[in-house]
Amino acid sequence: METLNHKEVINLLLQLASMLIMARVFSEIARKLKQPAVVGEILAGIILGPTILGMLMPDFYASLFSSHSMTNIALDGFVQIAVVLLLFIAGIEVELQVVWSQGKNALKIALASMILPIIAGFVVAYAFPEFLGVNINDRIVASTFFGLAISITALAVVARVLMDLNLFKTKTGLLIIAGAMVVDVVGWIVFSVILSLSESGKEGLGVWPTIGLTLFFTVFMLTGGKGLINRVLPWTNKNLAWPGGLLSLSLAICFLAASFTEFIGIHAIFGAFIIGVALGDSEHLTEKAKEILHQFINNIFAPIFFVSIGLKVNFIEAFDLGVVGVVVIVGLLTKYFGAYLGARFAGLKRNKSMVVGFGLSTRGSMDIILGLIALEYGMVSESLFIGLVILALLSSILSGPLMGWAENLKLSPSSK
Amino acid sequence: MYQKIGLALAFSPRMEALIAEAKRLVDLFDGELILIHVGVKTPELESRLSEIFDKHCSSLRRVKILWKEGKPAKQILETCAEEKVDLLILGALKKEGLLTYYLGSVARKIIRKANCSLLTLIEPRLETTAFSQVVINGTQLEITPKVIQRGIDFSKKVESKNVHILNEIKMYGLVMGTASEDSEDEVSGTRRKLVQDEIDYVEENLKGLDLGDLKINIKVTGGRWATELARYCEKINADLLVMGDDRKLNFFDRLFPHDLEDLLGNLPCNLLMIKS
Repeated sequence: METLNHKEVINLLLQLASMLIMARVFSEIARKLKQPAVVGEILAGIILGPTILGMLMPDFYASLFSSHSMTNIALDGFVQIAVVLLLFIAGIEVELQVVWSQGKNALKIALASMILPIIAGFVVAYAFPEFLGVNINDRIVASTFFGLAISITALAVVARVLMDLNLFKTKTGLLIIAGAMVVDVVGWIVFSVILSLSESGKEGLGVWPTIGLTLFFTVFMLTGGKGLINRVLPWTNKNLAWPGGLLSLSLAICFLAASFTEFIGIHAIFGAFIIGVALGDSEHLTEKAKEILHQFINNIFAPIFFVSIGLKVNFIEAFDLGVVGVVVIVGLLTKYFGAYLGARFAGLKRNKSMVVGFGLSTRGSMDIILGLIALEYGMVSESLFIGLVILALLSSILSGPLMGWAENLKLSPSSK
Repeated sequence: MYQKIGLALAFSPRMEALIAEAKRLVDLFDGELILIHVGVKTPELESRLSEIFDKHCSSLRRVKILWKEGKPAKQILETCAEEKVDLLILGALKKEGLLTYYLGSVARKIIRKANCSLLTLIEPRLETTAFSQVVINGTQLEITPKVIQRGIDFSKKVESKNVHILNEIKMYGLVMGTASEDSEDEVSGTRRKLVQDEIDYVEENLKGLDLGDLKINIKVTGGRWATELARYCEKINADLLVMGDDRKLNFFDRLFPHDLEDLLGNLPCNLLMIKS
């Protein structure tokens, strides 16, 4: 087995330390400004990457991030694991019980909030592929990917905003949470199907076997797989060390599922997400265990991933105001109006529908992951990816104040 | 509270005990007893029922015995609606060789579709059951204020000793996970607030209710409410669990069982289901 040499090990450790320190500093600043940690972590990456550090201190930046190719491969391994774990925890956050308890209304809101941005995103990207930076050779898939990327909601970020606004347990709050959960599940299934259709994603088993296996895997994991988990978890909780046994085994099955979906030609993160949903829905995964998994992943692996985004892209060189403007405007308006109309359709009053609209417009993590995958698969340009990151930052910064404003809005009886 | 009490009879070995239990409740609520059997009326069954009836129910003034033919669940539901039954009593099934109880498919169908409240008895007794330890589901649902009120009223009537109201912090893992961005003091504050909010919710619903001599214990848990309720009932050896459900269930509820379905599949104790 090939190993890193002395200098490479030092380099890797310094990379990880600098990423974690910068992430912590900036997420603390974000916290003081009442912003989600992810905002600070992404900014930390932009400062630590080629955009700022690479420009101001090019030698120092090069010695830290581009002097040893083996170190960078090892760091990429960390980032891959981080993104798999982020999707795993995103899956655990989905509680099917909450979705069922909110019934059809959550489904209406979620689907409306996805359909409008997907269609609008597709139309814009398909009509202006060169302007937006969408791969012209894979136009349909890349355009759909863009539509999907602007249709995703960041569940953890919106949950935090709802808690801060004291809306988490209200009817509107639970509808937003359930809607965001549906968006997550539908979004990642659509993602895996699109990925199997892409030109660059044809390393697996072929399109139709991949789609068939994806759907089979999803249904099996949420029924038979969940049943199996319900049998194994009580034994694990009783006979193995706690929480050690649970943590190592749940991560092991997460990696197994991730490797399976990677094998069948869709991304590893889909397997991690679905196994997360199945595990999180088990009554035997205690809330304490979920809290530990959250803390462990959100404070160690999430910062590594979000900082790494800034290391991959130069946010000044590749910045295109036109592209960013289109992505932000299309992303914000279509998601808001989709969710708003869904809420009105579900019978909510106007101001509550506005809260739902702003709530589901919150991005911040999953859409960035989608954008990054599209970038890595050559489906979108760096400029478009930057647009998606800025959309995520803006929406997560704005959603709290806008939801608070809409919640307190006094409407005349005729406009309700 | 319950003026018309129905009892679904199946001529099982536990029929006599079920009739005794029903009679006691009819006496307590000063109501009318409606016995419903779905099946062919034969002289043999009639004389068997009459024998048990004379033994336990001869003192009752208002009684109806209804023999129906057809699909059991449908007939029972229709009879309950026609007779305006307030409370229907059902017997649970016992798992072969195990000390666990569940509801059969007919009873589940009735529970899902009935408009009246339902009392499921896991181990009916001739000397009747003492509902001394009662657990009420206090988790925040639309029907919960009514469940708490009816649960308290029922507990007073059956002279329970302790009433435990269990409330659950919704999505505790997600909430505390997102709170981990805060300082240690803020995290502790969030945790305390989550617990206090749930206690406040139950106390708010208890306001204005006559609690009589009942000892009320409010308990807050994190996790799925049905699982937590079942665990708590087992832990304190509860005699009765009071909960409510006002949703019509569909195919997806069977594919992805929700909390109520989980409970019906493994009853921890007797169950009083309040309907809206």
